[in-house]
Amino acid sequence: MTTHFQGRLISSCTAAILVIGGAAAAHAQSVDTSEWVCELCPFDGGYDGDVAAGATGASDDSAYFGDATGYDESGAYGNLDSRGTLSSDAYYLRWDAVDLLLDSRSARVDGGQGRFGYHASYNALPRREYFTTETVFASSDSLLSLPSDWIAAPQTSGFSMLASSLAGIAIEGDRTDLRAGVRYALTPRIVASVDFRRHENEGTRTLGGSSYTTASLLPAPYDYTTDEIELRVAYQGESARVALDWFLSDLSSASSALAWQDPFVVPAGAEMPALAQAPDSRYQQLTLSGGVNMPLFRTSVSASASIGEITQDTPFLAYTTNTTIAADPLPRPNLDGSVDVTHLALSVSSRPLPKANVRLLYRSDERDNTSARATWQRVIVDAFPSGDNELNTPYSYQQQLLSAEAGYRLFSSLKLLGGVSRRETDRDFQEVAEQTQDTGWLGFRWRPWDWLSLDGRGGAEKRDVGRYDETVATSLGQNPLLRKYNLAYRYREFARFTAGITPVDWPITVALNGLYADDSYTESRLGVTEGKETRFTADLNWTISETVSWYVDIGIDTMESRQVGSESFGDPDWSADVEDDFATVGTGIRIRQIADKADLRIDYRESDSASETRIDSLAGGADTFPEFETRQDALHVGVDYRWSERLLLEFGLTWQMFEADDWMLDGVGPATIPSVLSLGATPYDDEQVLFGIGFRYDLAATAAGE
Amino acid sequence: MYAIFRTPHGRPGQNTGPFGQGQLQCEACHGPGDDHAGRVRRGQERPPVPHFASSGTGSAEAGNAQCLACHGSDVGFGWHDAAHNFEDLACVDCHRLHDPFDPVRQADSQADVCYECHQPTRTEMHKAFAHPVVEDKMACTSCHSPHGDVVGSELVRATVNETCDQCHAEKRGPYLWEHAPVAEDCTTCHSPHGSNQPAMLTQRAPVLCQSCHSQTGHPSVAMDTGGLASGTPSRFLLGESCLNCHSQVHGSNHPSGSKLMR
Repeated sequence: MTTHFQGRLISSCTAAILVIGGAAAAHAQSVDTSEWVCELCPFDGGYDGDVAAGATGASDDSAYFGDATGYDESGAYGNLDSRGTLSSDAYYLRWDAVDLLLDSRSARVDGGQGRFGYHASYNALPRREYFTTETVFASSDSLLSLPSDWIAAPQTSGFSMLASSLAGIAIEGDRTDLRAGVRYALTPRIVASVDFRRHENEGTRTLGGSSYTTASLLPAPYDYTTDEIELRVAYQGESARVALDWFLSDLSSASSALAWQDPFVVPAGAEMPALAQAPDSRYQQLTLSGGVNMPLFRTSVSASASIGEITQDTPFLAYTTNTTIAADPLPRPNLDGSVDVTHLALSVSSRPLPKANVRLLYRSDERDNTSARATWQRVIVDAFPSGDNELNTPYSYQQQLLSAEAGYRLFSSLKLLGGVSRRETDRDFQEVAEQTQDTGWLGFRWRPWDWLSLDGRGGAEKRDVGRYDETVATSLGQNPLLRKYNLAYRYREFARFTAGITPVDWPITVALNGLYADDSYTESRLGVTEGKETRFTADLNWTISETVSWYVDIGIDTMESRQVGSESFGDPDWSADVEDDFATVGTGIRIRQIADKADLRIDYRESDSASETRIDSLAGGADTFPEFETRQDALHVGVDYRWSERLLLEFGLTWQMFEADDWMLDGVGPATIPSVLSLGATPYDDEQVLFGIGFRYDLAATAAGE
Repeated sequence: MYAIFRTPHGRPGQNTGPFGQGQLQCEACHGPGDDHAGRVRRGQERPPVPHFASSGTGSAEAGNAQCLACHGSDVGFGWHDAAHNFEDLACVDCHRLHDPFDPVRQADSQADVCYECHQPTRTEMHKAFAHPVVEDKMACTSCHSPHGDVVGSELVRATVNETCDQCHAEKRGPYLWEHAPVAEDCTTCHSPHGSNQPAMLTQRAPVLCQSCHSQTGHPSVAMDTGGLASGTPSRFLLGESCLNCHSQVHGSNHPSGSKLMR
């Protein structure tokens, strides 16, 4: 279990412990409860929970299946889990530890007493990408060096020392997330909290290092640490609420640069190019939010104002590592970067009629990049000066949203819904300075019978641009006919439906879900011109008997798009049609209490994707790429056998395979591309069997004093 | 039912909790129970408790008010403005209050609760490249705020980018040379729920990049199958495609990095 989830989860749990005495207290004031005794309530304290231990064997190495799970190499793994609670009259503690002996281990604890609550968690997340990669580079700190006997060449075919220099390197990393926090109820209505989080991300990634006409895919090390602190004070009154938050996020990188020895023949002095890694940065944010509930139309009015600033002043690298180039001094030693982030929101929710509810929202989000601007003289890939003076463009934008939604219960079984919204976006330094997006939709929720529910929505959205400034496009070297995907005029029609069938006397439930969206970019002569998306899901659950149930679910996604380009830097002369298809089917059965001793669960899932790109150009005619296909199958069988009241034996068997046909990697060894020394990653073709055996011991009986 | 006594709600020494000194015990949440607990005639159906019973008379709004009376300052702070509130969801549609390990608050079971209504998202999560939700290492609430928020984003932070930056802070900059869509919205290029393409990209390069870049020379050229490994292997197509050279697509802090190559 990772990072955010644990933290937010624990926050919620801790919050649950900190009951602030609202409704219960209010009711209690009107009822004399002084003589109330709950004779049947088992208030006994002690601990309750279980501990599980076992071992799992993995048949094969697999980056794909080892990603996030930790089962990345063949061999034996230990398993250790525990979950439980410890409580006394007022004290409460809950723990949950999962996969403690794996690279994906996680543990959390939360608890409290009276006004005080706390939480702490640790989560590790292994990220595994490729085990099939090879490199000639050796990594040391921020330098990737070549073998001492390496002989550079203009193209990869000339790398005479390549075969003898290649060594395997895994493209992988590890994330860890540590959290801790406390909450204290200063008064029954005021709660203060402090939360801390450290997120570490370390590993090796694929990073292109360009030498202009040649490039090397580098096994680039990275090591980032993000520390976060959040302080919050919240007041909850009878009808009003207010909270003040201060948030700090501090990112530090172990290195701000990466240099490498270029394996290609390059101009004199450019043998050791360098690029910049992500700079250290700090984000602070102060948020004041609150709301009031008013009896008139049962109205709630909420507002939030947030100001923040992102700063970074990491020292720049030099223009070039090439000492033969007499580059000018840098105009400034660092960016002195500063981005002001502002969020404003006002929300009103109301029930003006017994059968109607409305929700109004205004929000404004601004990213104002006030970083220093200067004129820079680029040295192209440490080889030669560009000769151009370039001014950095700190992009800013402001986005405002005004939306209104309403629902009206026409009959007890039918509710009509509708909404409109306008989103306005203002940008600096881009082709479109002002953009609007208007959306309108209508829908219904209909429950004609107890066993049937139908939901449907449909609408349209128009994204309009005041003016597509072709002079900006031209200054960036763009074809003036191009309309960028996210800046172009777009008209969208969309619809979705949901059907739920739950026959009262039948042990079956069925759910159907569909979605359709059709985009037209009618004002784009170049760029994306069409897009279409359809989705469908179907779920069936059948409770065959008290101890047997079966399910099946199906999901189908299709996305199509068409875009147009111009090789001649003029009118359209080529097009690309892309179709992405995906289908997944999952099914499984649960059989409980077999001979009053065992539970059996079997799950199977198959997921297939196919992505096809068709090119049609005046110069080359029609051409279709091989499909980029993936297929994943997984079968899991689990058996829990109750050996005794306290001891459960667990068996698990998983077979899983993932294979891909990927033309970007297929047949591409380290030297296949004449001008790119690659890492030789091969398309996934992974198959793995996991067999696990273990036991789960129930601590409850121990708690009872056995 | 008795499992609640293994939850924070069931501690008698928690004075402000339902079972604390002077509190209303079961009725604190379920409402007055005289009719439910009273004597019924033979053949007469026992009246349900007002709240949180399958046949109860209380509305979702009334039931939620019971919860919000105590949880208004934390999880309920943004509930009044939440999409789930507008859709008339009840707290107990997702939560199991009597369970010490409420499934919707466990990483290994939360998504299944959400998928009961959000089935298309389950489909996306099973795509070849997705955040590790299927592996139980992330949950929907890693990014989403189902209880709502005042700013209406339904995310754990105010915007998409601020949410992503929680784990990908190295992308937030500010950089000397920014890539405009990166600074504005990660989802311009990425599908965070899952994608057929590596890195959860909405499309694969070079087509993805060419939907915004048409400069003369290689950005505007239609790459065809002649550049595959079986033909004349092209550096614009294979390996990392455009990222073979323009690897700093999230921004560059190098003085010579305006083309996002440094």
